[in-house]
Amino acid sequence: MRVLLPVLWPIAAGAALLAYTGICNSKKKASPGTAGHGRITALDLIYIAALALETVLVIAAAAGGGSVRLLSLTDTLTLGLRVDSAGSLFAVLTSVMWLLTGIHSVAYMKHEEWAERFYGFYLIVVGVLVGIDYAADLVTLYVFYEMMTLTSLPLVLHELTKEAVQAGLKYLFYSVGGAFLALFGIFYLANVCGDLSFTAGGRFTAEMAAGAPLLLTAVFCMIVGFGTKAGMFPLHGWLPIAHPVAPAPASAVLSGVITKAGVMALVRIVYFLVGPDVLRGTWVQSAWMVLALMTVFMGSMLAYRENVFKKRLAYSTVSQASYVLFGLSLMNPVGFTGALTHVVFHSAIKTCLFLFAGAVIVVTGWKKVDQLRGLGRVMPLALACYTMASLALIGIPPFSGFVSKWYLATGSLASGTGALGFAGPVVLLISALLTAGYLLPIMIQGYFPGQDFDGKEIGERGLTKKEPSLLMLVPIVVLAAATLLLGCFPGPLVAFVEKIAAAVM
Amino acid sequence: MSFVQNFPFFSIIIAMFSGIVSSVLSGKKARAVSIAAITVTTVLSAFVLAFCLRTGQSYTYMMGHFPAPWGNEIRAGVLEGLTALLFGVVMFLSVVGGLRYTEEDVEPSKQNLFYIMIDLMLSSLLALIYTNDLFTAYVFVEINTIAGCGLIMMSQTGRSLTAAIRYMVMSSLGSGLFLIGLSLLYDVSGQLLMSPAKEAVARIVVDGSYQIPLLVIVAVVSVGLAIKSGLFPFHYWIPDTYGYATPTASAVLSGLVSKGYIFLLIKFFYRVIGTENAAHSHIINALFFFGVAGMMFGSLRAIMQTDTRKMIAYSSVAQIGYIYMGIGLGTQAGMIAAIFHIFSHGATKALLFISSVGLYKVSGDRTDFLALRGSAYRNRLAGAGFLVGALSMVGFPMLAGFISKLLFATSAFASPHKMLITLIALAVSTVLNAIYFLRLMIGLYRPTKSGSFVEPAPAERTGGGEEADRKGRGAKQAEKGAGPGSGSAAAAANPWTMRIAIVCFIILNLILGLFSQPIVSAITDGLAMFG
Repeated sequence: MRVLLPVLWPIAAGAALLAYTGICNSKKKASPGTAGHGRITALDLIYIAALALETVLVIAAAAGGGSVRLLSLTDTLTLGLRVDSAGSLFAVLTSVMWLLTGIHSVAYMKHEEWAERFYGFYLIVVGVLVGIDYAADLVTLYVFYEMMTLTSLPLVLHELTKEAVQAGLKYLFYSVGGAFLALFGIFYLANVCGDLSFTAGGRFTAEMAAGAPLLLTAVFCMIVGFGTKAGMFPLHGWLPIAHPVAPAPASAVLSGVITKAGVMALVRIVYFLVGPDVLRGTWVQSAWMVLALMTVFMGSMLAYRENVFKKRLAYSTVSQASYVLFGLSLMNPVGFTGALTHVVFHSAIKTCLFLFAGAVIVVTGWKKVDQLRGLGRVMPLALACYTMASLALIGIPPFSGFVSKWYLATGSLASGTGALGFAGPVVLLISALLTAGYLLPIMIQGYFPGQDFDGKEIGERGLTKKEPSLLMLVPIVVLAAATLLLGCFPGPLVAFVEKIAAAVM
Repeated sequence: MSFVQNFPFFSIIIAMFSGIVSSVLSGKKARAVSIAAITVTTVLSAFVLAFCLRTGQSYTYMMGHFPAPWGNEIRAGVLEGLTALLFGVVMFLSVVGGLRYTEEDVEPSKQNLFYIMIDLMLSSLLALIYTNDLFTAYVFVEINTIAGCGLIMMSQTGRSLTAAIRYMVMSSLGSGLFLIGLSLLYDVSGQLLMSPAKEAVARIVVDGSYQIPLLVIVAVVSVGLAIKSGLFPFHYWIPDTYGYATPTASAVLSGLVSKGYIFLLIKFFYRVIGTENAAHSHIINALFFFGVAGMMFGSLRAIMQTDTRKMIAYSSVAQIGYIYMGIGLGTQAGMIAAIFHIFSHGATKALLFISSVGLYKVSGDRTDFLALRGSAYRNRLAGAGFLVGALSMVGFPMLAGFISKLLFATSAFASPHKMLITLIALAVSTVLNAIYFLRLMIGLYRPTKSGSFVEPAPAERTGGGEEADRKGRGAKQAEKGAGPGSGSAAAAANPWTMRIAIVCFIILNLILGLFSQPIVSAITDGLAMFG
């Protein structure tokens, strides 16, 4: 029950919220989104309380452990949940990010319509994500994975403009295509392996692998398929389209957390089902490394050329999520540690950056990068947080990104994959330079717009100081502080991840 | 002999006689008789299934006491009972779900005719399921054709007459081929009852005599039944037929009638030709090939449609392809997958047809995508039903379609030559399914200018643009108070019978998706009894 609660509670709460607004809608015949404009309503408080309770439930489940078997689909395929340390890491991360972004979203959604619908789906998605993290076997994971695609779709579609619908369709087709590519692998593994439940270190021995000629192909299909959610080349095309059209809090969690669901699926398949020993040194590993490195470079390059702020951040996510995938593809403990620490760091950083972008939109309405000149005079504190997160993403010590990138680079050199292993750090460095190139100019232009710049050409309000409201600012500050603190004191996190790494390899 | 063993015979006769009696009754009474007959036969089928599961064996039931090679025999086993039960349930829900629309679409003076056709359809489907004798099968195939034509014509729009004639021609061709096959079989074996015919065929195979006639028999019967069930490339009658009939007729025709023929074909392979011989003949490869081609073609054509009914109909072409692909694998596992898909597609497609009508009714009776935009808000239950049906078709986990796909994929691994093609076909067709169903779903859940249906303006037709959407949102709040409430529109479109039908269909889908294990093992037992 303790395992089931963090999955069921938000789904039930979200469904109840949607049903409640549905009833209100038909009674009042007015859109409730405009009802309490600007004020915090009781519904907002309930929503925050539900998210806070979810965080508590996830942490309780992570602390308590345990497993639950839900039902049997066929005689060999069952649905069940089980708590383990890798799942707990992802689940706790998810719920904390969700809570912080949720607080931000209350303020943000005052400027959008249909806030209640957003709240409802937002709550449901977190339950589904925790389901992915705590899934005990591949079929359960797949079920929740598909549910995640469908339940997060309304977040992308939220504004229902033509642009949003097209982005939503693209999101849907890529996700469904990727998921079914993965499904082929699942069918194959189900046939070879019978039992698809996760065990640290994988279920395949060398003999079993030798007896399954298509195993590598199947694993590769799953890597590409689940890699879709993490925006890995060649199925990355949806991410820079879909993330920016969503409301900023949704973009934040889409980029910061939901991409990590794809990562989670790959961790489970490679390290908990097939086993790194079977895959190490095969063409699958090389191909995966190449795809990940290509995505790292390409994402940074595209981000560098992009002018729309949220889109630039989305391209940055393409690049950064593939840092994680590159770490996983190394299949050694150091690389694995780098990958999972980067999951945590990138999640905090990217959520912070998107929330900042949301705050900018709410306060000033600016969406393009070249409009952001002089932003430091409007919201100096928020821009300071942005600066911290940027430095962390570039990987400058003592900020957090440095730690994970260090592990990734050393892991790459120690991976024994020859030229590719050496290419890794080079690409990471180039990408870090590009990251600096696309993030820092915003800060520089923001604080130092130049003598002649008085902001008159921007609008009537010019550069009068106006920090975002507290509800928006607090999550940004907390996340920015987290990027610094995690970078200064990475010890406990690294030790925790290293324990997982030791268990799976 | 237990009394339960009479039930298959009773259920065929009850359905048939209720049809005969209905011819002198008024429309309302015919309807009551028909619903009662379906209910009773479904309950009887459940008893038969329970009996066969308990005793663990099948039995034959001789009618008229004529000895072989003539005679009339009924055979009931687990698979027959299960199929009859599920067909009965789907039939019941389709009739109940479409009650109101049948009343509206069919002329008052012809109401009772509609229900006569339903009764005849039921009795012929049951006979096709239970029969152990090929000539009886042929007779009921013809009855089924006539009833089918009648059902299609009932809505009496211009297109439906064309569709009915087209159906008549194609179906007659199919029955003709089936009859030729029977005659040839009678020539070479001297038998028409399935069990003795099977022995005779086995002797022929051992002797090595009549090899070519035997091949021709298998080919002619397969092609005949394939035409009648709408396998690609004989599918041309499907889109019009399913597209222009009344909702109940579409649901029954697409969900059950084509499946009845497939069931007969499976029975023919198992009970007459023998699975070994069927698997060795190349006919089965041809079925496999055309099944795969149908999956692709049907889905591609479905993507090109802008009319919902046509889209659902073309999706049926693709789904029939799945079933033939399973049969064409030539293995036990493939056959189990095919039979499971008969059930899951029957339940899903009927749900789609019934719930889509609820959406048309709140969209000014129009069926194109543009008019249906936002209709899921206007009629929430129908929208939910359509969503479940579409997700099941796409193969969303926990719904019936996923289990079908799972069974197809796992059975593919058992036949190495066809494995790759099957898997690729499954993957491609799943993505294609997703494209057309989910595209429509997003349209259904996209709000329009006001809560109630508005005729799409010409500007919007050409892709209105963001401006129109933005205005739409503002206008929505303004109009919502004034316009007719969406609640009352939905209530008018959803009579309570239809609500029950949609909810039951959704439950049926969930049952097939979540608790498939007993059903799959029952199919396995049933196939073993076919032996």
